[in-house]
Amino acid sequence: MKSKNRLWILWREFLERSFSIAIPVAAIMAAFLVSGFIILAWGSSPMAAYTALFSGAFGSISGIATTLQRLTPLVFTGLAVAYGYRGGFFNIGAEGQLYMGAIAAVWFAITFPNLPSWLLITLCIFASGFMGLVWVLLPAYLKAKRGINEVLTTLLMNYIAIQYFEWVIRVDHIQEGILLFGGVEPIWTFQNWLGIKDATQPHPKSAFLVDAAHLPTMKSLLESNLFSSLFGGAEWYKELLGITAFGRISLAPLLALLTALVIFFVMFKTVTGYRSRAVGINPEAARFMGINVPRTLFVTALISGTLAGLAGGMEVLGTQHRVIPNFLVNAGFDGIPVALIGQLHPLGVLLSATFFGALRAGANKMQVITSVPIAVVYIIQALAIVFAIAGTTVDIGANLKKKRLAREVSEQKLEPAKEEVANA
Amino acid sequence: MLSDLASIFLNLDFYVAVVRMTTPLLLAAVGSVLAERSGVVTFSMEAMMLMGAVGGIIGSGVFGNVWMGVLLAIVFGMLVGFAYSLMAVSVGAHQIVTSVGLNLGAVGLSAVLYALVFTRGSEVIQTVIKVPKLPLVKIPLLGDIPILGPVLFNHLPVVYVGYVLVPVVWFILYRTSWGLKIRAVGEHPHAADTVGISVSKVRYATIIFAGAFSGLAGSFLSIGLLGSYMENMTAGRGFIAYTAIVFGKWQPVGVFLGTLLFGAADALQLRIQALNLGIPYQFLVMLPYVVTMIALISVVGRASWPASYGSPFKREEG
Repeated sequence: MKSKNRLWILWREFLERSFSIAIPVAAIMAAFLVSGFIILAWGSSPMAAYTALFSGAFGSISGIATTLQRLTPLVFTGLAVAYGYRGGFFNIGAEGQLYMGAIAAVWFAITFPNLPSWLLITLCIFASGFMGLVWVLLPAYLKAKRGINEVLTTLLMNYIAIQYFEWVIRVDHIQEGILLFGGVEPIWTFQNWLGIKDATQPHPKSAFLVDAAHLPTMKSLLESNLFSSLFGGAEWYKELLGITAFGRISLAPLLALLTALVIFFVMFKTVTGYRSRAVGINPEAARFMGINVPRTLFVTALISGTLAGLAGGMEVLGTQHRVIPNFLVNAGFDGIPVALIGQLHPLGVLLSATFFGALRAGANKMQVITSVPIAVVYIIQALAIVFAIAGTTVDIGANLKKKRLAREVSEQKLEPAKEEVANA
Repeated sequence: MLSDLASIFLNLDFYVAVVRMTTPLLLAAVGSVLAERSGVVTFSMEAMMLMGAVGGIIGSGVFGNVWMGVLLAIVFGMLVGFAYSLMAVSVGAHQIVTSVGLNLGAVGLSAVLYALVFTRGSEVIQTVIKVPKLPLVKIPLLGDIPILGPVLFNHLPVVYVGYVLVPVVWFILYRTSWGLKIRAVGEHPHAADTVGISVSKVRYATIIFAGAFSGLAGSFLSIGLLGSYMENMTAGRGFIAYTAIVFGKWQPVGVFLGTLLFGAADALQLRIQALNLGIPYQFLVMLPYVVTMIALISVVGRASWPASYGSPFKREEG
C-alpha cells in the first residue's frame, strides 16, 4: 500500500514538472497555428512560410550563425530578468543596463587597443558587467531600503541610459595622432575622454574595435597554429576553412551557455540563490526564517544588472564590434518574455532565447521566399508570450501540486488521529 | 548661442509645436489614469497607440473619410484594451509581461494589417501611401486672441479633445460615484468587492476607456500630423505617456503637467537639433526622466500609486 503511494506521488511530481515544459511548448505551437491563419489571409501557404522560416534559421551554417548571434543577448537579458524575478526584483531595466554595458566594453576596447588580446577581452567583459551593475545600483538601493517599486525606477533608468548612449556616440573619442572628419586638427576636452564616437567619421557611430578585442570565432580557432599544424593537409580541413559563416560564430554563445549553467548552479545549489528564491516567494516568511531581506534583494538586483550588462558587452565583442544608434533593438525588453516563456529557469531561458533568436534569424528568408512579411514573426512571438503567460497563470501543474500537498497534509493529520482513536 | 535659444523661445511656432507634441501623450496618459487608479498597470498603451495609428490610416484610406479613420482608431484601441482586460483581469496574468507581449504583437499586427489593406501582393511594403488627414480647425473668437489664439486654438480637432479630457477625468475621479468606485477598487479591491462593487467590471471599463483615448492618440500621429504611416510609428510614445503618469503621481492634473514637460522637451530638442547649436540635446530629452525619478524618490512620492497596483484580483477560495 505504502509503496504504491510513493509511486503515485512520483507520478504526480512528474506530471507537475512536465506541465512546466508543456505549457510553453503548447503556447508556441498555438502561436504558430494562429499565425498560420494570418498567413492564409495574406494569401500564402503557412507550411511553406514556416519551412522557409525554419530553414532560414537552421538550414545552413550561415543561418545557424545568425541564429546564434540573435539568441546570445537574449540569453543574458533573459537570465537577468529570470534571476531578478525569482528573487522578487522585477528588473525591466535590462535595456538600459545592456546599453551601459555596451558603452563600457567599447570604451575599454578603443582606449586600450594595445593590450594583449586575452587581457583586453577579459577587461571589456568585466567592464560591461560592472556597468550593468552600476546602472542597477540606485533602483536596487531604493527597492531594498525604501521599498520603492523597482519596475518604475528601472524603467526610468532605461531612458536615461539610452539618452546617455545617444550622447556618447556623438562625442569624438580621444585618440593619439588622429585628425577629425575633414582633416581638422582636434582640440580635445574632458567630454572627448568620455565619448566613443569614431572621430574620423561624420556619422554617430563608435570606432570599430581593434582585432584584439574581438572574441575568438570558429574561424580563428580553425586558423590557429594548433589546428593548422594538426590537420594542415587534410581535405576536409581546407573545406572548413572556406566556410565564411564560421567567422560569425564567436565564443559569445558558448559563454552564454556557461553563464546559464553558472546561474542554474547559483540559483538552485547555493545559499545566495536559496535566499533569493525564498525572498521572491514570500518576503515575510523569509524574514521569519532569519534571512536579511533588504540585503538579499540588493544582491539579487546586482546579479540581475550584471547579467544584463554582459548582454551588451557580448554583443559588442562577439557580433557587431562597434555600436551604432539602436544597435540592439529591444533586446532588454525582450528578456522579459524570454525569461517568462523559459519558466524562469536558466535552462528554459536557453530554449526560449533560441526560439526568439531563430524566429528573427529566419524571418528574412521567409519574406524573400514566400513574401510573407517579417512582421509576422512579431505576431508569433506575441501570441506565444500571451498564451504562455495565460497557461502559466492558470497553471495546471501548480494546481496539481497544491492538491497533492493538501492531500498529504490531510493524510498526515488524519493518521495520528486514527491512532488516537484506536488507543482510546 | 543664447540668441539662438532666445529666438526659439520667442517664436510662436515653438509653443504650437509644444501643444502638438503634448497631445498624443496627454490623450494616452490622462485617458489611462482611471485604469491606473483602479489598480491596473497600463503598460500596454504603446500597443493601443500603435493599433490606433494604423486604424486611423486604414479607416481614412478605405472609406476616404478621415472621421472614419478616427472612429476605427478608437475601435482598434478599445479592442486592444479588451484583449488586455481579458488577460489582466479575467485570467489574472502578470500585467507587465502581458503588456510587453501585446506591445510586441502590435508592432507585427499593425505592419501586417497595413500591408494587407494597402500594398498587398506588391514586393515593396514600405510604399508611402497618402490618405485624407484631419483638418486644422480654428475656434471662432478664441482663435482670434493675439498670441494665445494661434498657439492654443488653431489646431487639429483631436487637440481640443485633449483640453477637455483633463477636467473630465478629474471630475469623474473625484466628483462622481464612478470615481469613488474606481479608487476603491484600486486601493482595496477586497473591500470594494464586499460592498458589492464588481472589481472586474470597473477594471474592464477603465481599461477600455484607456484604449479608446490611446487609440485616438495613435490616430493623431498617423492621420493628424502626417497623413501616412510608418512601421512602429509611435516610437515608444506609449512608454513616455506611462512615465508621465508616474511623474504626475497618478493625479490627472499632475499627469497633464508631466505630458506637457515631455512634450516641451521634445519640441525644444527638435529645434536645437535643427539649428545645430552644439548643445547636447540628449540631456534635454533625459531631463524629464531624471525629474520623474527625483519625484519618485522624494518623500512626497511615496505610496502615491494605488495600493493594489499591478496585482490581479481573486476572491479568496473556500
